[in-house]
Amino acid sequence: MRGRQRRSIGELIHEVNMTPLIDVSLVLVVILFVATPLAFQSSIALSTAASGSRAAAKAASPDRVEIELISEGTVRVDHEVVPRQDLDRTLRPKLDQSASHLVVVRCADGVSHGTFVNVIDRARALGAFRIAVVGH
Amino acid sequence: MRRRASRDNHLITKVNVVPIIDVSLVLVTILLVTAPMLSIADLPVDLPKAHTREAEDQRNVSITRAIDGEVAVDRERVPRERLVETLRAALARPGNAGVLVVIRADAGVPYGEIRSLLGDARAAGARRLAVATRQNMGANP
Repeated sequence: MRGRQRRSIGELIHEVNMTPLIDVSLVLVVILFVATPLAFQSSIALSTAASGSRAAAKAASPDRVEIELISEGTVRVDHEVVPRQDLDRTLRPKLDQSASHLVVVRCADGVSHGTFVNVIDRARALGAFRIAVVGH
Repeated sequence: MRRRASRDNHLITKVNVVPIIDVSLVLVTILLVTAPMLSIADLPVDLPKAHTREAEDQRNVSITRAIDGEVAVDRERVPRERLVETLRAALARPGNAGVLVVIRADAGVPYGEIRSLLGDARAAGARRLAVATRQNMGANP
């Protein structure tokens, strides 16, 4: 401080003031820590039962794909029962043939929500345009 | 000489407001961005992971269902039997007509309960429904 006071008037201040930069950076770090789990939240839209069933009724039988989760590890795609890990292989050609890309999903009550979401997520990733949930 | 000495000892009377303006602007920006995210209950919920994501509405009404059975509408915890009336009241607020209703349920909750929540949401007047997921950046399972 005394050194600064002794500085002659014409001398330039060549130190960059880092305080504002550090302030802003610390605030950003704290906010990012708090907001990160929220920022990664997303959602998958479901057709409501009424519109879903209307759409399902409109779509011709070969034009929609029906998925039923029988248990955690077993699904029925149209009339074919397959293990859940083989869902992609069975579902992909059916969705490719479908013009409406409508998937109608039924799920047994005992199946976990995580498994249900995993199945509709995979259907969407394979090109399902709309997911209709029936049974509620 | 006397004039020079008085100029050297001159006190800086101006407060440096630049840092406080910097921080305030950053806070305002962050609050604007995160305000829609803060309307959810602080129940412990492990959302199911998903790779796909859809365009999300800035405005939505959330139903949170924790693994221990606690239920909340937006930030308000409600008894399960009062869910329909609370949700109906939330959907009747100005600007909430046709708003997206998001079910935020723990991945371990049985689907039977989700089906019941979807039915209650429809009974309360929800027309657009979605299930909340956590963005999964990893490879497909």
